[in-house]
Amino acid sequence: MDKLVAQYSRPRHQDEFYSEQEQRDLTESHPSISLKFDLPPLENPSAFLRAMTDDHSNPSCPIKLAHGTTTLAFRFQGGIIVATDSRATAGNWIASQTVKKVIPVSRLSRGEDTQTDAPVPGLLGTMAGGAADCQYWLRYLSQQCTLHEIRHKRRITVAAASKILANLTYAYKNMGLSMGTMLAGMTPQEGPALYYIDSDGTRLPGNLFCVGSGQTFAYGVLDAQYRYDLTEEEALELGRRSILAAMHRDAYSGGFINLYHVKEEGWVHHGFSDMNPIFWKTKLEKGEFSNVTSEL
Amino acid sequence: MVGKDCVAIACDLRLGMQALTVSNNFPKIFNYAPSTYLGLTGLATDVATVSDLLRYKVNMYRLREERNIAPQTLANLVSSTLYEKRFGPFFVSPVLGGINQTTGKPFICGFDSIGCIDFAKDFIVSGTASEQLFGTCEGLWEPDLSPEDLFETISQALLSAVDRDALSGWGAQVYIIEKDKVTQRLLKGRQD
Amino acid sequence: MTSFGRYTSAETVGYSFSQPTSAPNKEHSFYPYTDNGGSTLGISGSDFAILAGDTRSVAGYNINSRYVPKVFKIGGDDESGDGAHILLSVVGFAADGQALKERLDAVVKMYKYQHGKPMSVRACAQRLSTILYQKRFFPYYVHAILAGLDEEGKGALYSYDPVGSYEREQCRAAGSAASLIMPFLDNQVNFKNQYIPGSGEGHALEPKKAEPLPRETVEQLVRDAFTSAVERHIEVGDGLQMMVITKSGIEEIYSPLKKD
Repeated sequence: MDKLVAQYSRPRHQDEFYSEQEQRDLTESHPSISLKFDLPPLENPSAFLRAMTDDHSNPSCPIKLAHGTTTLAFRFQGGIIVATDSRATAGNWIASQTVKKVIPVSRLSRGEDTQTDAPVPGLLGTMAGGAADCQYWLRYLSQQCTLHEIRHKRRITVAAASKILANLTYAYKNMGLSMGTMLAGMTPQEGPALYYIDSDGTRLPGNLFCVGSGQTFAYGVLDAQYRYDLTEEEALELGRRSILAAMHRDAYSGGFINLYHVKEEGWVHHGFSDMNPIFWKTKLEKGEFSNVTSEL
Repeated sequence: MVGKDCVAIACDLRLGMQALTVSNNFPKIFNYAPSTYLGLTGLATDVATVSDLLRYKVNMYRLREERNIAPQTLANLVSSTLYEKRFGPFFVSPVLGGINQTTGKPFICGFDSIGCIDFAKDFIVSGTASEQLFGTCEGLWEPDLSPEDLFETISQALLSAVDRDALSGWGAQVYIIEKDKVTQRLLKGRQD
Repeated sequence: MTSFGRYTSAETVGYSFSQPTSAPNKEHSFYPYTDNGGSTLGISGSDFAILAGDTRSVAGYNINSRYVPKVFKIGGDDESGDGAHILLSVVGFAADGQALKERLDAVVKMYKYQHGKPMSVRACAQRLSTILYQKRFFPYYVHAILAGLDEEGKGALYSYDPVGSYEREQCRAAGSAASLIMPFLDNQVNFKNQYIPGSGEGHALEPKKAEPLPRETVEQLVRDAFTSAVERHIEVGDGLQMMVITKSGIEEIYSPLKKD
């Protein structure tokens, strides 16, 4: 009650228009990434957010956010393979089939500027869960990594970068963030390093991870054929085949196979290729996927 | 979907439990007379039950009347069969397409789960991708299409629509029904 | 299930004319959003981009207005928006949309005053994403689409979710009729499921490659998409507002749609 009284006994025009701080933010030239967020005028902001956006607990929620994914990454003797699908779903609606779920982290050039075949130095982050959460926080991480590089005159380690992200997600725990991300990179100190970080604050180093709604299907193929001493060729094919299996069986995964290889010199992109021709090639030439009818 | 002296009916081939695809060879179109077809979407067990129940009723009709059932008659049979379960409905929404052998005229209609008939002159859609189908059919369909054009139209409409629905797809089947000929074709769809 | 009434209760079978036996427990909670319906659509070409939206504004089954524009010019010199080089469309909650538009407009103008040059579409796209994410815990209930011309003069189109995840695309439909329009665009703009006739038999058929369409074709597609959506969606109709951005500026075209 006191809260209500306090809320309505303020001078009526106090909050009108932008506050001085807000006006300053508006006119600043590089405010972009900050940690200041607007909150609803409520006791329990996260409950409000859940009611508005969580289509798991409330299928008729008004704001549907993009979800659903299969992403995987594994270490092998030649570095790290990172592979993802490209589908974004809001409920059963396929919002997009062309999402780029591998986000280059660190270095101001984020890979989208120029396309080269040469390895690009830096880390790779994958995106599962809320699309906006991953895009924003990996961008924030990029900024931090670049600052680290400028301050210390050497590239940040994967361990340190993943810790920055994990501390962040831990700070925002139970606020309604949703992300399951993998950080992959290779530094002189660590060699190939792979970490899993999620919105609960978990941070795990490991050899092999699959994240998202199609993770079980991907694990099925990956576990069956994974060895640490795979050749580069075999490793790329295994990554591609695992994603393909998940795309086929999981309704919320699909679209294009996005494949990356992290080497000592940096990461190399191995294509953003439509799954359908690859699927039919695998089926017709290798005789796999015999469950699918190809003639009437 | 109606064309000039022809009707087309099409379905996807997926059977799934939420996100998991269980089967990708589950046709949802059933034949009840030489030029009368019924598509059933919804709960898989009810699709099987309703299709068999109607098969029984149509067979009884044929024995009694010594003639094939007309699409219009089947429509009313489906409607009353569904309404019998008014307070515990079958979770299906059927689509009927056929050509009346006496008049030679195309006939299509759709139903809700308790048997309300929806007559249409152009097209009927149902299932999880129905919104998408409304969009593509409304955009691509035009009156008096020839059988070949109708096949192309219904195929493009169906494939594009199911590619925007997570729960449909994995291949498709099309029937083109003319007065004295039925062509059945399998479409290669996206497998994701 | 087809039903004609909106009220049903657990004990009785619901008819719209029957009185409820006991008043249903009404929950009062903080609900700051209204869905004002409508739909928007953007397509980019080789030297232009089109953003279009219907002009109906609804609340539930009521029509608030038959002319509420959803497409705005961003960063113009004055009220009329002359001199703008970026377009923004917002659909969802109109008030949030309006607030978002004003905010972005202010940002783009400030950028111009401080840097002495207009903001690039790429920069503006990134900025809009952060603006949306600033309200991650109290989101703007909007689906935004941003359009302009990129550094090479090609049409650029960016689409957003309510909390700021974004992607550059060829075409995008947003709003209540997005599910009707989008598959149609996949088929007609990106040639999804289309194959080159005679390029082979069965599995050897070659898919048709997508390429940027000429402006007349795109304008016609936009009109077709909206006339189709109006037929099958109650929240779309009244008028079609189209904005075309080319290197010579922004052209606005209004054409009526069905008002039923």
